[in-house]
Amino acid sequence: MGRIIRWWPLPVLILLLIYPWVYREPYFHVLGFNVLLFATMATSWNIMGGYTGYKSLGHSAFFGLGAYLVAIAANQLGWNPLWSSPILALVVTLVAFGLGWIMVRTSGSAFVIATIAMLLIFRLLALNLRGITNGAPGLSQPLPPWTPEFSRMPFYYYMLIWLIIAVATSAYIRHSRFGLGLLAMHDDEGKAEMVGVHTTLYKVLAFGVSAYFVGLGGGVWSYFSTHISPVFAFDIIVGVEMILMTMLGGLGTVWGPVLGAFIFIPASDLILFQFGSTTIHLAILGGLMIFILLFLPRGILPTISHWLEERRTPRTAHTGARSMAEMQDKRSAAVTSEIKPAGDYDPVIINNKQETL
Amino acid sequence: MTPLLHTENLVRRFGGITAVNDCSIIVEEGSITGLIGPNGSGKTTLFNLITSIYKPDSGNVYLRQKKITQVPSHQLCHQGLSRTFQITRLFWDLSVLENMIVPVRQVGFRSLLGPGMHRYEEVRALDLLERVGLEHLKNQPARKLSFGQQKLLEFAAILMSEPDLVLLDEPAGGVNPTMIRFIMDLIRSLNQEGVTFLVVEHNMSVVMELCDHILVLDQGQKIAEGPPHIIQSDPIVLEAYLGD
Repeated sequence: MGRIIRWWPLPVLILLLIYPWVYREPYFHVLGFNVLLFATMATSWNIMGGYTGYKSLGHSAFFGLGAYLVAIAANQLGWNPLWSSPILALVVTLVAFGLGWIMVRTSGSAFVIATIAMLLIFRLLALNLRGITNGAPGLSQPLPPWTPEFSRMPFYYYMLIWLIIAVATSAYIRHSRFGLGLLAMHDDEGKAEMVGVHTTLYKVLAFGVSAYFVGLGGGVWSYFSTHISPVFAFDIIVGVEMILMTMLGGLGTVWGPVLGAFIFIPASDLILFQFGSTTIHLAILGGLMIFILLFLPRGILPTISHWLEERRTPRTAHTGARSMAEMQDKRSAAVTSEIKPAGDYDPVIINNKQETL
Repeated sequence: MTPLLHTENLVRRFGGITAVNDCSIIVEEGSITGLIGPNGSGKTTLFNLITSIYKPDSGNVYLRQKKITQVPSHQLCHQGLSRTFQITRLFWDLSVLENMIVPVRQVGFRSLLGPGMHRYEEVRALDLLERVGLEHLKNQPARKLSFGQQKLLEFAAILMSEPDLVLLDEPAGGVNPTMIRFIMDLIRSLNQEGVTFLVVEHNMSVVMELCDHILVLDQGQKIAEGPPHIIQSDPIVLEAYLGD
């Protein structure tokens, strides 16, 4: 039974493979691409924000940086985004290493604010370095070479491959010594430092890795949408959505961000359709965030696994009584004696100090 | 006997208060050294100076005659120096076994990408957990343990890094007499195996019975040191505790 359960991703993968052939309208291909794109980026964000607990609100900076690097390379050097995205995302990672090295010196809300500041700096640069970025009007890219009726399908399958790689990377990190250090830091950073975890190095590495798939997603997105501008490429909402879907699915779990994206993106599309092209869907998004924080603070997957765990083990199974009893068995000789004062020292000292006991 | 750890004229001020004032102590290799003093006498600050959590305003710390004053906390563990905290600190959402695995001596990039837990590490961790009677809880998250069990786990976990010197901040604080006895036996048997201890403890009967050398701090300064029976009757020590 457990063996069968472990293979659950396989039928899901098959469903994802045949999905574009079942739903053939271009809209569904766009929707599918968006789901996979955000699932990949949320998985990436989760490596820093979920495992380590340093929640960056500025990951859109890496999204935009990836988008611009790919667009510039396509225009100036003729590099095809499909192979240049993964390579230029490495540049994004290098930039993230450098910025991370500065930013992980802050923590808590200061870190969040620092990441927002980082995003705004990138946005300002994109607006003002007109020679490279063409300023506010943005950059256009050559159209994909394939025929229009298939135009979205290659993007869909391309992103599916990267989602698999991203999830595999996330799962690998989660079960490595590196990941154990990240999770330990999430619980108590000072203690982790004390028991030998090089916390600064771990944070910088996690920050850089978490920027990789976001930068890659930005690159693919710039090709997909053929035109990019600073307002959309460096939009804080992109980063906020990554966080929302990760929290919905389960912060710090491997599959949480994926599940979150698969619920969140179609839901926000539905809301968008209901209310047309107003910005009311943003208000509803905010309401959804509050709802998640109030009623599912741990996200779907942790809530389910907690619930299953509670069902499996009766409440009394793992309390102190049993182990103390066992210990008393083992050390019956020792426990019978109360603590004896050694020698005759001033008893006032004991009375004075035992208040702390 | 040679000093395993010694400090030289350590000073640390917080605003107008000098928490540790010109403090020089020696911890002999193989000893169980006690560090006592009234509340606010600078014991925990001294621990934090030794483990690089605070930077001293002046003075130095040496481990095996090697200066470790500016060595970052995470490297001290690899050099054989570990500590516990006054208020038990664990990785609450990690399992008991994972809590044991984090503090393993490990350096270098390659080990980072290795598996979270090697087989030999697991064997050693289970060994230590059995020694403190927690092996049946190995898959429970640390937050589900009772207070006494959490203290034992913190203690057992720092042993994973095979420390030469362990700083214990109130190992008997807040635990019942049975557990105190158990922890004392554990410290003694580890000491037999070659681990040196520096122990801060308020419970005098524990300190007097456990330690073979005692340092007394008052207002950040060392006011007395010696074997337990001398310290107990030292008029300077009594005055520090009882006041004028």
